[in-house]
Amino acid sequence: MLIELKGIHKTYDNGQPLHVLKGIDLSIEKGEFVSIMGASGSGKSTLLNILGILDNYDEGEYHLAGHLIKNLSEREGATYRNQMIGFVFQSFNLIGFKTAVENVELPLFYQGMSRHRRHEMAMSYLEKMGLTDWASHYPNEMSGGQKQRVAIARALITHPEIILADEPTGALDSKTSVEVMDLLTKLNREDGVTIIVVTHESGVANCADKIVHIKDGLIERVEDNRQHHSSMFGTTTIMK
Amino acid sequence: MRDLLQEIWESLRRNKVRTCLTGLAVSWGIFMLILLLGAGNGLLNAFLNDSGEFASNTMMVGGGRTSKPYAGYKQGRRIRISEKDMDLLRQEPFSEKVDLISTSLSRSGYTMTYGRRYFNNVTLYGTYPGDIEMNRVKMEAGRFINEKDIQEKRKVIIITHLHAKNFLVGSTDYDQLLGQKVKVGNLSFTIIGVRHGAENEDDRDLFVPYTTVKSIFGLSDEVDGVTFSFHGLKTEAESDAFESQVRTSFNMAHQAAPDDNSAVWIWNRFSQYLQMEKGRNMLTRALWIIGLLTLVSGIVGVSNIMLITVKERTHEFGIRKAIGARPGSILKLIVAESVLITAFFGYIGMLLGMISCKILDMTVGQSTVDVFGESVKMLDNPSVGLDTAVGATVVLIVAGTIAGLFPARQAAKVKPIEALRAE
Repeated sequence: MLIELKGIHKTYDNGQPLHVLKGIDLSIEKGEFVSIMGASGSGKSTLLNILGILDNYDEGEYHLAGHLIKNLSEREGATYRNQMIGFVFQSFNLIGFKTAVENVELPLFYQGMSRHRRHEMAMSYLEKMGLTDWASHYPNEMSGGQKQRVAIARALITHPEIILADEPTGALDSKTSVEVMDLLTKLNREDGVTIIVVTHESGVANCADKIVHIKDGLIERVEDNRQHHSSMFGTTTIMK
Repeated sequence: MRDLLQEIWESLRRNKVRTCLTGLAVSWGIFMLILLLGAGNGLLNAFLNDSGEFASNTMMVGGGRTSKPYAGYKQGRRIRISEKDMDLLRQEPFSEKVDLISTSLSRSGYTMTYGRRYFNNVTLYGTYPGDIEMNRVKMEAGRFINEKDIQEKRKVIIITHLHAKNFLVGSTDYDQLLGQKVKVGNLSFTIIGVRHGAENEDDRDLFVPYTTVKSIFGLSDEVDGVTFSFHGLKTEAESDAFESQVRTSFNMAHQAAPDDNSAVWIWNRFSQYLQMEKGRNMLTRALWIIGLLTLVSGIVGVSNIMLITVKERTHEFGIRKAIGARPGSILKLIVAESVLITAFFGYIGMLLGMISCKILDMTVGQSTVDVFGESVKMLDNPSVGLDTAVGATVVLIVAGTIAGLFPARQAAKVKPIEALRAE
């Protein structure tokens, strides 16, 4: 079992306590493509942040590839994130003053890899994303879809155990959204990358094999979606 | 290392205005400090120019008139300092503090001739070997008077380089003159040395052994005064106490009241030196305080900018953390940027400050003002030692590091999710 959550609770305390996650139990196997769906405020993003070790949780246990992720120091957290997790964000989160290839290189820089090797690797990943010609461009010179593909290349470059995507199509138009989801699907099918996508768009969720519905901090139901018939707008489009 | 530098370079290049403002604050601080200290040093050097002409640890005693009756003598009696008074200083309690003792005797109104060249109205100044140290006589060639000259009453003479130049028709190869004879009045002297004579002052005395002058002119034991050097005194109080001890002892030897302040006159160069030193220290301290305050404004500038930098870049640090940056690497990035920017601009400020001191030296430093008929330099060698300049720059760099460290620690500590949320 790659990911195992047991009774995860999370309360935010900004003035008055807000109980966001009220006991989440979830298991995800290696190679799965899972989407987490829910209305805004349901706690889906909080769940993803905990999965990504960006945030901590109050109660329960979280095992990632056999490691108990609890009360980690910043340093340990950074190491786990670097080696096991790749992030794809809604707002891309590329560093503006770095070129595409430099952005992709960055996780390898924090692994201490030599300049030459990480540049080569970053270029090969950009090639995979069809962005070779854009390698030396800055993020503000690229379209949303291109930026998201750079972000995906950056997430993949360390061969992480999981890719966590937080509303990956949130800032994209429907055509680009389809392209990005196709890319993620392809990575899952062909390379066996474990992918977890958080979204509130049913079209996006429909790409996954398994849909976890979250409501008010609890898992409402887990839907087997290997048939990809979950979207009411059809299987090939993403409704914006 | 190269990666770190590249990261910093990119971040600085992206924020040109911010970088320039920080740089300006830093450069300005160092620049003002160095210019201020340099100009202050120049001013001090110009003021204290003549303090270098004699050794500071000397005292001169000369004859005066009594101001009160004592031991059956009326007031207003003339006190004559004689050769024997030198012995007073060789006894207790002075012997352990006094080093060199010298006395002098001068006779004026002679003509010195060398071949067909001559000088009118020259002064023969009979003195002792210790004079070279106490009056800081600078020899250009040959030697000064020695003990043998004194004992054998040799007819040897030390002329100034101004005489020598005239004798040699402008040449400065003074060595040629050594061993040559000159006539002073109708007496023949052998030149043993050429000393440096101050150009602007009336410094044309011909130095000869004291005993020679005395025996030639058949003079009594009376001398112009006694000069002696001493050691072991530190404070002004000690110096004043020593002075009054000397006064009492001279007064007693001449049957004057021990507390009579006008029986002998004493020129205590050491007290004068200490007072000057005190004034110099006060001025230096004042300059340093102003300079350091200027430096502080530079430090505040750096701290300010670093705080803003860290605030602005929180989101970026969040991204870096999400993809695996450890807190240490964030800390290193910020501190290195801070150090680099202060070091670079501090260096520029230092350089500009030193160049400005040079310019000051070449312009104001060359001009003179007339004070009581004497021309005085306004600034003399306005500069700051390299050690001071480098020291100030290092202080600023250390301060820049600390200024960067606080916000950097804050940034390193913040949780990645919070950093990512910041915009």
